[in-house]
Amino acid sequence: MTRLSKQTLDGNVETLILAVLEAGPSYGYAIVKELNERAEGILQLGEGTIYPVLHRLQDKKLIAARWRLAENGRQRKYYRLINNGRKALAANRHQWQMLSAVMGKVMGSAENLLPKPQVKGATI
Amino acid sequence: MSRALQKYLDQVMLYANRKEKEAVKIRAELEDHLRQKTADLAAQGLPREDAVFQAIEDHGTARTVGYSLRKGFVLLDVRTEGTARGFIAIGPRAVGIIAFGNVAVGLFAFGNFAFGVLAFGVLAIAGLVSLGGISLAPLGAAVGLAAVGRTAFGMIACGGLAIGLRVPWAIDGVSFLSGENGLQFLQHFRTYEGTVALIAITLWLFLIFPIMNGIMCSLKKDEYRRIEKADPKLIE
Repeated sequence: MTRLSKQTLDGNVETLILAVLEAGPSYGYAIVKELNERAEGILQLGEGTIYPVLHRLQDKKLIAARWRLAENGRQRKYYRLINNGRKALAANRHQWQMLSAVMGKVMGSAENLLPKPQVKGATI
Repeated sequence: MSRALQKYLDQVMLYANRKEKEAVKIRAELEDHLRQKTADLAAQGLPREDAVFQAIEDHGTARTVGYSLRKGFVLLDVRTEGTARGFIAIGPRAVGIIAFGNVAVGLFAFGNFAFGVLAFGVLAIAGLVSLGGISLAPLGAAVGLAAVGRTAFGMIACGGLAIGLRVPWAIDGVSFLSGENGLQFLQHFRTYEGTVALIAITLWLFLIFPIMNGIMCSLKKDEYRRIEKADPKLIE
């Protein structure tokens, strides 16, 4: 399957992370896992490169972070979305929806790129 | 913890070049990620050692991850790969107040391709002063084999006041210097004293270039030495 190029992805990873954090606080590894699951293989991030993005979002005060004790007994850094982040996410989502609609109309739908759901026992 | 993971994190932090307090936290965060990834892969049936290497591979090369963890704009940013950004930036590509690289963009830019207010390079494009093989300074002084500027010196020179072996277009000096265009001060350079001053400025430019070049190369060498000291294999 063709993966997204870095150029296409640049600038959008922040929004993707905000979208993942919308569901609730999370930490680096879990965020990467969630992103990969939601993207169904189209997105392939170098896992280590997510941390500079998380730190940048924290510097921009779009997310907040706190160290907490994890289930494995080690300290773990959890990130959560804060008000500014929610606003930024809403704005970016709106922009994306408009862009997606325009691209879809001009270039054609992208649905054929996504894996088809398997329906067991389906007959024609 | 696996020695391979430990070594990988050492390398990442070496390239990240953060203050110790910040480095400890970043390292802890990355370590947590790698441990968990390793555990997950091992749970999927991968032998422990393979799981460690797979986790490292998925994490990205130490250099890429390390450089991406550097602060946005620091006092001195020296890189062996990618774009350096800082007050003094040194790298294959450099963006800074003083930039030194194959491609350099800055207030003072030194490089094969240099773009800045003052630019020195094989191809130098500057707002004020450019010095190089091909030198362009539309609003200022250009010195080079081929120079184009309001004041230009070179084998091929073209500009308001152009001194060169060959002036491809008629010296526009007269037309530039006439009229109320704010460039009358250039008339000064047409006198004997003015020419001496101009030569002095040119010589100074030629002098400052190797000095700056020396300083930048020394800083670059220091960075290579720092990396090599930590792990000689990192310097190819």
